[in-house]
Amino acid sequence: MVINMLSRVADSLYWMSRNIERAENNARVLKVQLIHMLEASSKDALDKEWEEILEVCASTADYYSFYERMDRETMIQYLTISPLNVNSLMNTMNYARENARATRDILPEELWEVLNQFHLDQKDWQELPNTRDHTQQYLNRVIQTSMTSQGVIESSMSRGTPYSFIKIGKWLERAEKMARILNVTCEKNRKETGGGTHHYYHWLTALHFLNGYDAYIKEHPPTMEPKNVLSFLIKERNFPRSIQYCMDHVLEAVTNLEDGKVSHYSENLFQMLEVIQNEIEESSIEDMGMEELMQFLDHFQDRCMTLSRMFSETYYLIEPVRVK
Amino acid sequence: MLTNYKTGVYFDEMMKEDGQPKNHYQWFYQLVHQFNERELMNKHETAQLNFLRQGITFTVYSHTGGTERTMPFDFVPIIIPRGDWEKIEKGMKQRMTALNHFLDDIYHEQRIVEAGVIPRDLIENNPYYYDKQIGGVRVPLNNHIFLAGVDLIRDEHGEYRVLEDNLRNPSGMSYVFQNRYVMRQVYPELFNQHSIETLEHQLSELHQSLITQVPLNAEPGKKPTAVLLTPGIYNSAYYDHVFLAQQMGIELVEGRDLVVKDDMVYMKTTRGLQRVDIIYRRIDDDFLDPEAFRPDSMLGVSGLLRAYKKGNVSILNGIGNGVADDKAMYVYVPDMIRFYLDEDPIIPNVETYFLSDPERLDYVLENIDQLVVKNVGASGGYDMLIGPQSDESEQEIFKKKIVEKPSQYIAQPTIKLSRAPAYQEGRFYPCHVDLRVFIMSGEQMNVLPGGLSRVALKEGSLVVNSSQGGGGKDTWILSESGDQHA
Repeated sequence: MVINMLSRVADSLYWMSRNIERAENNARVLKVQLIHMLEASSKDALDKEWEEILEVCASTADYYSFYERMDRETMIQYLTISPLNVNSLMNTMNYARENARATRDILPEELWEVLNQFHLDQKDWQELPNTRDHTQQYLNRVIQTSMTSQGVIESSMSRGTPYSFIKIGKWLERAEKMARILNVTCEKNRKETGGGTHHYYHWLTALHFLNGYDAYIKEHPPTMEPKNVLSFLIKERNFPRSIQYCMDHVLEAVTNLEDGKVSHYSENLFQMLEVIQNEIEESSIEDMGMEELMQFLDHFQDRCMTLSRMFSETYYLIEPVRVK
Repeated sequence: MLTNYKTGVYFDEMMKEDGQPKNHYQWFYQLVHQFNERELMNKHETAQLNFLRQGITFTVYSHTGGTERTMPFDFVPIIIPRGDWEKIEKGMKQRMTALNHFLDDIYHEQRIVEAGVIPRDLIENNPYYYDKQIGGVRVPLNNHIFLAGVDLIRDEHGEYRVLEDNLRNPSGMSYVFQNRYVMRQVYPELFNQHSIETLEHQLSELHQSLITQVPLNAEPGKKPTAVLLTPGIYNSAYYDHVFLAQQMGIELVEGRDLVVKDDMVYMKTTRGLQRVDIIYRRIDDDFLDPEAFRPDSMLGVSGLLRAYKKGNVSILNGIGNGVADDKAMYVYVPDMIRFYLDEDPIIPNVETYFLSDPERLDYVLENIDQLVVKNVGASGGYDMLIGPQSDESEQEIFKKKIVEKPSQYIAQPTIKLSRAPAYQEGRFYPCHVDLRVFIMSGEQMNVLPGGLSRVALKEGSLVVNSSQGGGGKDTWILSESGDQHA
């Protein structure tokens, strides 16, 4: 299956896929948070929560470079349809469409149409009053668009080089987001050593953020042991959002891309993938304290960045639409 | 529905003066009357949305940036009977053959200049004449015009005339296919009673024409690699580029995807560099290669011209074609046909006056309110004056421009451009139309049956360009059995 493909096109596909995945993940976090905030105990606690959301979906520093204080409505707007925030849902969906537009000649027509339809409707969203209802609808629409896109890709794209680049983008983005969310959750846990219901709430939220609640509950009926949640989200090989699952599939996609062979130019990439695999497999999540876990997750995020860079170098991917 | 429709003093494609349809529109006329108002409105709406949803758009630039717009589609087709079409087809082949001879001639022997048919000045002062860059270079098959688009109009007697040749980067071919596609989707009923020329094989014809133009030094026995070079997603004709690349199964590349090494052209792929043999470029000459043309071009590829001159890569359409399709050279095309082919033009030009001729200049200045004045270097309906539709101040501005630089302008009598019914907002009304015919050349020459019928949807307007509110129509060439029906 070793077929040449324009590097620019490969790059666009990779970023299209990352942007779609990023939009979906951020939309879900926001959607869950909008419900959870109804149950928050105090304004202080709530503000802190929102800052965490900001850290997961964008960058707190960037936000404060535009605004002086935390205002909930401003922030929701910042995360959804603001042009200022490079990671706003509107921007990530636009990047995805631009990337798709630049590669239209090799994408299934329906995929382009799904993204284009979102773009056409988006103009209407911007004119709607900023009510909770509209925000929820918008978030649902982002999630649906992402899922429909994935459906089109799975059901109609040949399993060739373009497909592999799309998949690699998706799995890497997903793994990184998982690590980011868990990191914030661990941090919160570490600060609040009081125990009790608080913890339950944090882990429940994390599961909801990561769309893992239903799957987790089937494996571990109604307990919410942090250790169980963490090893489920990090190491569960059957759960399609766990870090382990994502990395397994990055490896699989790269292997397909290379027709199962390791060549001189792809040697470093394969080595790095192996190192990451081993680090996840050898870790015993159950025995780690919060501090250690956070180190582990930080380290993993660094690895993802290195991997992304090596991947780009191996396939001459240049000039991405946007680098974090 | 067409009861209040008036043809006026114009030639109408569909209707006769007495309010009855012409013979070849008989079936269509009857079928339309089977729809009720509501159905027509719904279908119209569905058709427009179809283009938007598929993102078949062009980009319009203004001071606030670019907006993506669709070209409005009108469902009343232009139907051309077989006999008329055969004449057009012959006329187009004749014209392209002569123009190709001309291009080959002026970059080599210049026989036509020696013979005194065309003034040397007119060629040498033409800003698109690139003799310095490509004079003496041999191109594959001696073919300079891979894909041309010729704009035809009909005068008040219904005679077809050539309004403009586009030998550089004619766009719009994708619309021919999309118009047909949408038409079939939304108005399937109309096709039952008509037997029309299909477009099915045209893109493989195009591909065939493309890959026969292998460069001199291509690796023998290897399938040549062809690419379509686009300026990118912000170009107004980007959809055209996507469509053609996709349908021909060739890579759609941008300048930054290509690199020239040792006078060979390569594309940058995920496995390193891959040799490119044929480039169908949709970038203008002066942006192609910053080394040879505009040094500020960000769209082109450095060294491309060197590779071309060495015979290591084919560039289609040929470089330097602009000298043959501007509005001044247009006047001489009938002479070219006589000179190279010893034939009379099958499809005539529109009468045109050079303003550099003092006698003509006086005439034009006096009668400007009855003439169309055009800048020889402009296109897309820009920098032109339509006399009868202008006011005095506009005419004064143009008079000034003309006197300042007479050689920059030509004038033509205002032709009573033919009209056809268009359907918008619940009613049929007459609109001016023209027809862009596409001609592809490789080892053989082939005229796409039909073409892009463009319609000036603004009532009374003569400008059909999509950038100025023009729309598109499907064009039907009745096949032999279809003719008998009609």
